[in-house]
Amino acid sequence: MTPFMDKKSSLALALCVVLAALVVVFFWSSGNERLRKSDGRPSASEPAALSDRETKNVSLFFLREDDGLLVAEPREIAADASIVHEAEAVITELIKGSRGELVSPLPPETKLSQLFITKEGTAYVDFSRDLIDNHPSGAAAEISTVYAVVDSLAYNFKSIKKVFILIDGEERETLAGHLSLDRPFSPNYSLIAKR
Amino acid sequence: MPSDAGSIPAASKNLLSDMTRTQRIARPFRLAFVVAGTLVAGLAAFSAAQARAPRTIVIDPGHGGLDVGAKGKFGALEKNVTLAVSFKLKTLIEQNLAYRVVLTRDKDIDVSLENRSALANNNDATLFISIHANASFRKKAQGAETYFMSLTDMDEETRKLAYMENNSAALDQRIADEAKNDVQMILWDMAQSAYIKQSGRLAELIQQEISSDPLLKTENRGIKQARFKVLTGVACPAVLVEAAFISNPEEEQKLITDEFQTNVAQAIYNGLVKYIRLTSSR
Repeated sequence: MTPFMDKKSSLALALCVVLAALVVVFFWSSGNERLRKSDGRPSASEPAALSDRETKNVSLFFLREDDGLLVAEPREIAADASIVHEAEAVITELIKGSRGELVSPLPPETKLSQLFITKEGTAYVDFSRDLIDNHPSGAAAEISTVYAVVDSLAYNFKSIKKVFILIDGEERETLAGHLSLDRPFSPNYSLIAKR
Repeated sequence: MPSDAGSIPAASKNLLSDMTRTQRIARPFRLAFVVAGTLVAGLAAFSAAQARAPRTIVIDPGHGGLDVGAKGKFGALEKNVTLAVSFKLKTLIEQNLAYRVVLTRDKDIDVSLENRSALANNNDATLFISIHANASFRKKAQGAETYFMSLTDMDEETRKLAYMENNSAALDQRIADEAKNDVQMILWDMAQSAYIKQSGRLAELIQQEISSDPLLKTENRGIKQARFKVLTGVACPAVLVEAAFISNPEEEQKLITDEFQTNVAQAIYNGLVKYIRLTSSR
């Protein structure tokens, strides 16, 4: 019986070690990725940011034509003591669309009506009706609209944990018949391209 | 269940033939045996019939009426494609399976998302299939994907309940009956959370059929989870099928053909049949 127990417990130990190793690798690689992201991209604009404290570097998420994943595009916005103002600037820039080859998942007619952030870290983003009126509908399109907004806010502002989307100051059932807008969205970074 | 129903009458028949061969048992006893045998057989047949009572599949043709859904470059409307595919799927099911089919709409009218799921629950649906055509901001986007409900962003209580419902040891068949009442009482709007596991399996089987269909030749975008309004309140396994992208001119041209619509319906039907076999063999 004892050798069997030994076998069993050593197996458990081995399993623990493998698990621990996996956890370490996971955190290490995800940390690396974050490093790479903040390292690779804004290297050109970082010195500018240091010399000029009036601007802040942010990442805006747009769609890549090839695979439909979200890709970060660096942008400078005016630095502001208020996160609300900076968040507004992020959304306004997001609506303007990509300066490169990326596809904007927000109709250009969309206007940001207002934005506020609760103490609990939920950002309420109120868009004009134009977002719905000019939306192509379709599940995939809706998902990219929602998560371009949610991920762009949550990625750039640590204090924003969730995003609630409003239309003309009111809660809407959906944008175009699919994703439920009845509660705030957490960011979904799995929609972001790894490279 | 069906194997029980078959074995009991067979056993009683053997018993009877033994008796007639030997002729040693007195008449009254023989009669009693016959009566008992008939009763057992009748009971078995009754329970088998109950298990096979007409069940309902609800098909939901996406959009409709003023809500045209997505529009193609050449003018195809999602609402028309979804209705056409739904009719074909309905016919296939009714011709081949002992299921009743209810459509959430059978003409070009507006039906609210809530009423679509309510219709499924009011009809005590066993399965709910929402049919859609996809659209993207990207011109190249193409292919088929099948969605089922996501538990992200639900409150802790719902998530806990959903975890219990989806992970209990004696799950699968029982869950459909037992969980239903609880869920209907506690959180009607999140009824789907108790069926995530089954919905995922259904999505998988349908997506497999669509993406491997040699006639469809559509890109496989896989199964995905999202908190779609039309699915959240449905109290049975439920999926939303995005057959192809109407926003992609090439796929738009396919989507409006009778042939493509027939093949999509057939692929969904094949997935359904696999799911039904899988769940009823247990």
